[in-house]
Amino acid sequence: MVDAAVRASIDDAAASLAARRHFAGRVGVYAFLTFFAFIYVLPLFVIVANSFRELPEIIQNGLIGFPHSISFKAWGTVWSSYCVGGTCAGIQHNFFNSLEMTIPATIISTMLGLLNGYILSKWRFYGSEVIFTCMIFGVFMPGQVSLMPWAFILGQVGLANSIAGLILIHCVQGVSFTTLFCRNYYVNIPDDLIKAARIDGAGFWRIFFKIILPLSPPILIVTVIWQFTGIWNEYLFGVVFTAGRAQPITASLVGMATGGTNVRVYDVMSAGVLIGAIPPLLIYFFGGKYFVRGLTQGAIK
Amino acid sequence: MKNRGYATAIAGVMSLGLMAGAALAEPKTNMLHQWDSGSDAAAIAKLGEMFTAAGGKWEQTSIAGHTANTLAKLRADVIAGNAPPAVQLKGPEIAEWNATGKTADLDALAKEEGWEKVVAPELLPVMKPTGKWVAAPMNIHRINWIWGSNKGMAKAGITELPKTWAEFNAACDKAVAAKVICLAHFSQDWTDATTFEVVVYGQNIDLFRKAFVEGDTTALRSPEMIKAFEQYRLMISKYMDPAIAGRDYDTTTAMLAKGDAAFFIMGDWEIGILTAAGMKQGADYVCQQAPTDWGKPGFILNSDSVVFFTQKDPDYIAGQKLLAHLILSPEFQTVFNQAKGSIPARLDVDLSKGFNPCQQLSKKDLQASIADGTLVRSMAHNMTVLQKYRGAMMEVITTFVNTPNMSAKDAANAMADAVEAQKS
Amino acid sequence: MTEATTLAAQAPGPSLRERLQRAMPFIVLAPSLVASFIYVFVFTIWTFYISLSDSSLLPTYGFVGFQHYISIWANQRWQIAYSNLFLFSALYVVFAIVIGLGLAIAIDQRVRGEAIWRTIFLYPLAVSFAVTGTVWAWLYSPNAGIEFFVRSLGWSDFTFRLTTDRRLAIYAVIATGIWQSSGFAMALFLAGLRSVDPDLVKAAQIDGAGMFRIYRKVIIPTIAPIAIAVTVVLLQFAIKTFDLVAALTNNGGPGVSTTFPATYVYDLMFQRGQIAEGATAAILMLAALAVVLVPYALWLVWRRRAESGHG
Repeated sequence: MVDAAVRASIDDAAASLAARRHFAGRVGVYAFLTFFAFIYVLPLFVIVANSFRELPEIIQNGLIGFPHSISFKAWGTVWSSYCVGGTCAGIQHNFFNSLEMTIPATIISTMLGLLNGYILSKWRFYGSEVIFTCMIFGVFMPGQVSLMPWAFILGQVGLANSIAGLILIHCVQGVSFTTLFCRNYYVNIPDDLIKAARIDGAGFWRIFFKIILPLSPPILIVTVIWQFTGIWNEYLFGVVFTAGRAQPITASLVGMATGGTNVRVYDVMSAGVLIGAIPPLLIYFFGGKYFVRGLTQGAIK
Repeated sequence: MKNRGYATAIAGVMSLGLMAGAALAEPKTNMLHQWDSGSDAAAIAKLGEMFTAAGGKWEQTSIAGHTANTLAKLRADVIAGNAPPAVQLKGPEIAEWNATGKTADLDALAKEEGWEKVVAPELLPVMKPTGKWVAAPMNIHRINWIWGSNKGMAKAGITELPKTWAEFNAACDKAVAAKVICLAHFSQDWTDATTFEVVVYGQNIDLFRKAFVEGDTTALRSPEMIKAFEQYRLMISKYMDPAIAGRDYDTTTAMLAKGDAAFFIMGDWEIGILTAAGMKQGADYVCQQAPTDWGKPGFILNSDSVVFFTQKDPDYIAGQKLLAHLILSPEFQTVFNQAKGSIPARLDVDLSKGFNPCQQLSKKDLQASIADGTLVRSMAHNMTVLQKYRGAMMEVITTFVNTPNMSAKDAANAMADAVEAQKS
Repeated sequence: MTEATTLAAQAPGPSLRERLQRAMPFIVLAPSLVASFIYVFVFTIWTFYISLSDSSLLPTYGFVGFQHYISIWANQRWQIAYSNLFLFSALYVVFAIVIGLGLAIAIDQRVRGEAIWRTIFLYPLAVSFAVTGTVWAWLYSPNAGIEFFVRSLGWSDFTFRLTTDRRLAIYAVIATGIWQSSGFAMALFLAGLRSVDPDLVKAAQIDGAGMFRIYRKVIIPTIAPIAIAVTVVLLQFAIKTFDLVAALTNNGGPGVSTTFPATYVYDLMFQRGQIAEGATAAILMLAALAVVLVPYALWLVWRRRAESGHG
């Protein structure tokens, strides 16, 4: 970055002017960031505050406000006793259902993405570019369009209304994204490395485990974060392809939000939303640094 | 001698056991419905309790949000070859799904239990679209209610609920003068359509029948329909407040509770909402048939029902019979409707205990309306025309509500055009 | 089998093991390839066929020709939905990029507490569109949200009613979408700014170029490809817009002013039992996307061919 202070050392009068401009510039930057930060944080603040406020107080004083007294009632209710999804056992089983679906699907689609990215960048063959571009189209398929075909396929393979069926769907849909990320990342690994290894007699798998995989942590993190968030937050397929108590947490959150003809329990809803958002949020809080670092190393080109 | 005795005894016991095993499938079910939370879910939970008490294994899949989500899941299950044993479906959908040939036939059970005699006659063609029973009705909702907030009415100087639309307008003028919101409303496609069909019905039953039950485009374009839109425009612009879009249901009820608004036009499930808001019938709110210009008891009917899809598993089949039997039973009809605010689909259930006075009035009006021939089914709640026509009509109605400069004539024509487009 | 391998071991040609090695990339790629192919092409072709069929409640396969493609344009709600898609996509992508770039440049000025700023702008990505729509619906609500709050502070004429006005509601949807995704653009641009070659910048400084000129000549070209990548990712969010609208404006309100193609498709396919018409809308949706993507894909393939030609 151009450091105005460096140039200012040449001329003193210009130096103080530049120094003032510099200071004004710094203030401007911080003001700009603070303004946007306020807009970004406001919804999070509202949700967190409302999860600790009592419902009558929310109804009376509106949805934006500090809790008059911190109450954990809503958290307990939503986890274990709130009536949603046809039972009065809270959203805890939905939370674990989501974990059961998201973790395997993330792992499998990430692994496939790593392998596919490796193949499409280092083992180029005639038509590999075209294949890559075609696979990427999968990123754009809207869920409404693929719903009925998926229903048919799941019915044929006997996986309808099961977690395994959902995992299959998310893997196939996720492979497009993960391949895109990984392939663009691996392109930056010098081909000479691979060539040298092949001359030494290393085969497909040896190169993958000894060279590619050790260089992969940044893109691994990017892909895992992206996939986990996308699959965890998905609503339509989670609802349509499960039954009974197997529904994921997104279904119960929508259940609380669209009460339809029912009273909105804002406090319970807020706690529920936070519980539903905690896994991805945690991942972003702790993994954000690696997310950016992974992207720095060329995940997207 | 002894051995032969034992052998015979054992053989006898074993054959009894085998026979018993074959005869006794364990009834189980998995009911697909959209009553996901709150009082709706509590009402369905009662069905679950009864099912379990009768020895069945109860499971349910409740889908929140728009009806489309439940129907999406139904389609996915049917396409996957996994049709649910019991689904909440209503109105013309029953006939449509019946036409696919995948629904189960309840005629035997219906004859055995004599449903023909006790179910309200207006429901029969809906539950028996081709003459055979395919759906079990759970309740009868009344759409054409007007609710009055005692606080709001007192503030506005209104002493009783209006009986005709002229009285309604006069009462609302008083409310406006007293700076009270006359008609509480929140704008969504179904609420806009509900209020409008109540207006149309109240002005002219023949218009309602032709336009909303038969879907006749000439009726949709007619001067009478334009008059109905004009009355609706008066209500929207003068008697409702500007923030109707984006408001939700319980905020609207809060307006009645606080006395900010005088009236509310909504179906009888409002009873449950008002009760949950801590209001008592008589002391805090009053109910009456929504205004009609033709002076007789009137009734716009909506009914929730369960449709059964053919199953291969004998346990599910047994479960379906049990479920249908329970749904039509007087016990369930009583308990369910007490929770939901509607009245039983069986006409022979006694409403004198545990039912709100508005529900008792609903039953009285239903029987009078049947006698007078003024009973109709609701378009807004999907009991008359096919979804594609209903959807087209509702789009125009909700656009009309949210477009202040759309004229009544344009709206009537747009509605007729939209329905015509679906007919081609 | 044994004879063949013995022969192969002696023969100068490729052994089974070598053949397996050579085929390994294809073997490993094949499942994903087949699955993606089915997912993208077979599903799309099926949807296209259904749009030409008489499907209503369930998919049926009687051919009826292109009539749905003509009748759909007479539907005012579809017209609004389609134009909303373009309006939303354009403003959403452009402003998410502009704001993301602005935030990235600001953070790149060696500000203190970068981790905090970055987390603040990035966390909305962790939240689902449905939750975002719900919470912002609360904030936009005149009865209990921002307007209510500001009025309770004493400013009693303050109005902030985006979602209740049928002309402004779409902008509320766009603004909320930008809130959700500009953090992603920021992250990518920040990564890109960090990867600018410092030697180039120094060279430009030595040549006496001002900060502005340096940005224009050195930095922006480096991150231009990133803008394209961000556009691709944001576009796929835009076309799938459904949960956001469902939660924020109750599936298209006020009236039908914020309806989107995805909500239209869903409504027709599932609520109204008009699968053929819904499929028609879906194909038109994908067609709009293809108009943008196919040229980009062709350009990508051409560029990569050119690159590998030199490499």
